[in-house]
Amino acid sequence: MKKYETVIILNPNLSSKVETFIKEFEKLLKQHSFSINKMEDIGRRQLSYSINNHNKGHYLIFNIEGDSLQLIDIENKIKYNESIIRHLFISVKEHSGEDSQLLIDSKNKKSDSEDIKEKGDEKKESNIKKTKKEETTDEEKSSKDNKEEEQENSDEITKEESKEEEKDE
Amino acid sequence: MSKYELPKKFDYKDVNLLKEFITETGKIIPARVTGVSASNQRKLTRYIKIARFLALIPYTDMHN
Repeated sequence: MKKYETVIILNPNLSSKVETFIKEFEKLLKQHSFSINKMEDIGRRQLSYSINNHNKGHYLIFNIEGDSLQLIDIENKIKYNESIIRHLFISVKEHSGEDSQLLIDSKNKKSDSEDIKEKGDEKKESNIKKTKKEETTDEEKSSKDNKEEEQENSDEITKEESKEEEKDE
Repeated sequence: MSKYELPKKFDYKDVNLLKEFITETGKIIPARVTGVSASNQRKLTRYIKIARFLALIPYTDMHN
C-alpha cells in the first residue's frame, strides 16, 4: 500500500457536473480497493497558460492510499475521459492532513469578495485609529531608545578607558 | 536574506511561495542569487516543475 496525492483539472464548462464526477471517481477508486483519506474541491481557478484552449480549470485534490499496480488501471481509464483537462498522481511519504494552501487561498478569495462590500467602511475607520496609536507609541519608543543609547555609549567609553589603563600597566 | 527564508514543510501547492523563486520570465532563480540551501533548492526545482505542469505557474511569459 502506497500513499498518493492526485490532482485533477476538470473542464470549466462542466463545473455544474462536478459532484457527479466526484462520485464516479470515488466509485472507480473503490473498485480498485483504494481508500480516500481526504478530498479538496478547490473550484475554478485561472490557468497560467491555456490548455486545449481552456483558460480556466476546476481543480480537485484527492489524498488516496492503495496498490501501485491498481493505479495504472485507474490512470488508463482516466486518460480517455474528455472532461479531464489534466491529471497528476504523485506518491508521498505522508499525507499532511491539513488544508492545502490552494484551498485556503480560494476560500479567502470568496470571503474577500463578500466582505469588501460590507467591511469597506469599517476598515477605513480602524485604519485611522491604528495610525494614531502608532504615532504615540513611536514617540515613546524613540525617547526610550535615546536613553538606552546614551547608557550604552557611556558603558563603552568606560570599557575603553579600562582597557587603556591595562595596556599602560 | 530574510525574504528568502523557507518554511520547514512546503510543496507544489504553495504557489505564492514558489513564485518568489522564479523570474518574471518564469525561469528558476539560481541558489547563488537567493542564498537558499542546496537541499531546499532541489525541493524548490522539483515543486516548481510540478506546479508548472499543473498550470499553477507559467513556463514562460510567451504563453498566448
